[in-house]
Formats: sequence, structure tokens, C-alpha cells
Amino acid sequence: MLQPLREIEGGIQLSLNVAARAPRLRVAPIFESFLRQVYFTGVTAATGVVLRACGLGVIIIAVMMDMLDADVDLAVKILLLLVFREIGPLAAAVVVILRTGTAVSAEMAMMRVSGQTRALRYLGIDLYDYLVLPRVAGIMLATAALTLYVQFLAVLGGLVLSPFLIEATFTELTDRLFDLFAPVDFYYSVVKSLLFGFVIAACCCWHGLNPPDLTQNAVPKAVTRAVTQSAMLVLLINAVFAYLVFGILFFGLVKAHV
Amino acid sequence: MRYRRKTARHEVQAAVPQGAVTRVHVPDDDAKAHLMTAVLKARCEPGEELELFGESAAGLPRPRRERLRARVGAVSPIVGLITNLNAWENIALPAAYHGAPALEQVAMLAHEVLAAFGAEPRPFLARIPDELGMLERKMAAFVRSLVTAPELMVFDALEDGLSYAECRHAARFEAEYRARQPQGTVLYVDTREES
Repeated sequence: MLQPLREIEGGIQLSLNVAARAPRLRVAPIFESFLRQVYFTGVTAATGVVLRACGLGVIIIAVMMDMLDADVDLAVKILLLLVFREIGPLAAAVVVILRTGTAVSAEMAMMRVSGQTRALRYLGIDLYDYLVLPRVAGIMLATAALTLYVQFLAVLGGLVLSPFLIEATFTELTDRLFDLFAPVDFYYSVVKSLLFGFVIAACCCWHGLNPPDLTQNAVPKAVTRAVTQSAMLVLLINAVFAYLVFGILFFGLVKAHV
Repeated sequence: MRYRRKTARHEVQAAVPQGAVTRVHVPDDDAKAHLMTAVLKARCEPGEELELFGESAAGLPRPRRERLRARVGAVSPIVGLITNLNAWENIALPAAYHGAPALEQVAMLAHEVLAAFGAEPRPFLARIPDELGMLERKMAAFVRSLVTAPELMVFDALEDGLSYAECRHAARFEAEYRARQPQGTVLYVDTREES
């Protein structure tokens, strides 16, 4: 019972510490570490894994359109409501958890177990400054960028694919999409993806710095906890956001009375 | 520096006069870890007494402890290298983080010291710790500790894991430190008995 409370308290403390130290990002080694994190999470992921995630989005659209016997309106609604608002941010978050979350938690747990975090403290280097802040900021920024990238490719893929499945041209679909698209859709995904990035990074950093013990066996345990909790937090935030902004639950299957 | 720790099994005492070279042989690894931790943290636990640079470490507020710590350098397994940074990044990290000394000065120091030990600075600095041998890792840690111009240099188990020829190399660390800090104090800590 105490462990979850300790984790919640630790997560809150870590978040507050990161927020308070944001100006330290200007310090050269911290900024370098931030750039490395953005490169690892955003740029290297964009080449292969994200393309596969986008392919998955396109397949979902194809199956749904076929099953629902969709017309132009429904096709565009699927693209906007399902792909743009929900699948895009979630697919990017999954990629970030699987690639970066595992790497960050394993790296930090390894540093903790091998005494490298202690060495940093002896050198007068604050762990939050040097390890946590650049990772949290870098993962947040990269998650937002990846989300936009996934959304763009998935929607474009859907628009290209749809004319082969339903009786509509690419131009018709694009025009209808721009009619339905509202700025709130964009802000919604940016804010949500920043929050996804934040919880993934904070959760993975916390578990990495607080492994269950200081043996080599603690590293996989820390990674498992970090990944499962990050995934649960992402799903929770997604549900809360969908309810708060659009009044819908479970990806629009249930409409809340608001 | 003065240190004293008394337990049921043994008592460890060390008195290190300023500017001198002192060798302390402690009974076991636990005693060594306590001594090193106390000196590196400038903090003593219950049952310990520590005086650093004429100032008792007991109950010192954090900023003053930080100032004392900054005057101590160490080549110790406790203050190892960061494995995902190359040798240059490891050496430059404290200076880059604290903003002093300038990185040009650090680079010059690193090149001078490594050249003095017969290492080719450029390839040496580009390697990560896993690609370095035991002596090379100790050299990198030594250069990193020289950057802050410490008044007290602690060599913890300096010869551990080194061959006879490497030990002769490592023995030159003291002279290199002396050349840069003529008034500095040197402390060797080991668990082995003096032969």
C-alpha cells in the first residue's frame, strides 16, 4: 500500500523539481544532454518506427471504412476524430514509451546501481539538473513533434488510401477535412502530447533513479515498472482529456452528458 | 585533515598534515568506504569525527560543506567515470557544469597531463570508459580531479587492478599533482598492510 503512495509522492516531487529548474536548461552540458534526448527520441524514431506506426493507422482506417461502408463524411470524421485526435498522439506515445522510456529507465537504473549517480553528486552535479531536466524537456518536445509527424502521415495516408475504398476523390476528402478541422484539434493534440511526454519521462526517470534495490537484477524490474506505469498514465490522461475537451469517453463510443 | 572512527571491531585514525604526503591503511573495505565517503561528502556520521582544512565537518550547513568538498579531489572507485560520456566529456563535465574553469584551459590541462603520461591525447579523449584500460580510466579520473585545482588530493586504492608497470605509471600522479599544486596535500588510502 505504501509503495504506490511513495511513487505518487516521488512523481509529484520530481515534477515540481523539474519545473523549478527549467531555467538551468541554458547551462551547456544540460543543454547538450537535452539536444541529445531530442535527437534520440524525435529524430531517430522518425525514420523507421514512426513510419510503421503510421502504416498501422492507415490500415485501421481502411478496415473501418470497409466495415462501416463509409461515405465522404464518415471517412473524414474517422480521419479527424479517430486518427488525428486519438490514434496519432497514442501511437507517438507508444513509440516513445517503447524506445525512449525503456532506454531512459534502464540507463538511469544502471547509473544508480553502478554508483555513477553518486559520482555525479561528489562532483557537485545535481542529478535533477543533469539527468532529469534535459530528459523530461527533451522527451516532451520530441513527443509533441513525433505526434504531429504521425498525425500528418497517418491522415495523408488515409486521404490517399480512401479513394480506393469508397467512392470519393482525394480533393473531395481534403476539402471536407479542412471544413471540419478546428484549431482546437491542433491545440488539443499538442497539449496532450506534451503531457504524454512529460508523464513518460517523469515516470521513467523516477523509476530509473529509484530501482527496488542496488543489484543488477533491479534494472529490468525498474524498466518493467516504468513502462507499465507510463502506459497506464498515458491511457488515463487520454481518457481525461477526451472527456474534458470533447465530453466523450472510450474513444467516442460513449458520449458523456456535459 | 583529521579523521577518527571508532567501532566495536576497530578504530581508524588519520592525521594528514597540510602539504604532506600521507598513507593511511585501513583494516577493511567498509572502513575505507566510510573514510572516503566522509572526506568526499565533507560530512561525518555518528561515531565519526572529521576535520577538513581546519574546520570540523560535524553539523556543517550544506553551503559550507559544498565549499569544503570543492577543495578535495579524488581518484577513487567511488567517483568513477560516467560510462555514456567519452573521456573528454567526463573530464570537462564538472567545469562545463559549474562554469569554471574555461573549457580551453581544461583542454590544455588534459593534453599536457596525458602527454606527460605518454598517452596520445586526441584518441584517448575520444574513447568511452569501457574502451579504456584500468590505468587509462584512473588517468582520466586524475585529470578530471586536477581541473578543480584541489588542495587535498586523495588516491583511493590507486594500485588496485594495475600491473607492476602500470603501478609505476600511476606513482607519477603525485609528482604531476605536486607540479601543479606545490602546497597541496596528498592522501593515499588503502586496505592493504604496509610491506
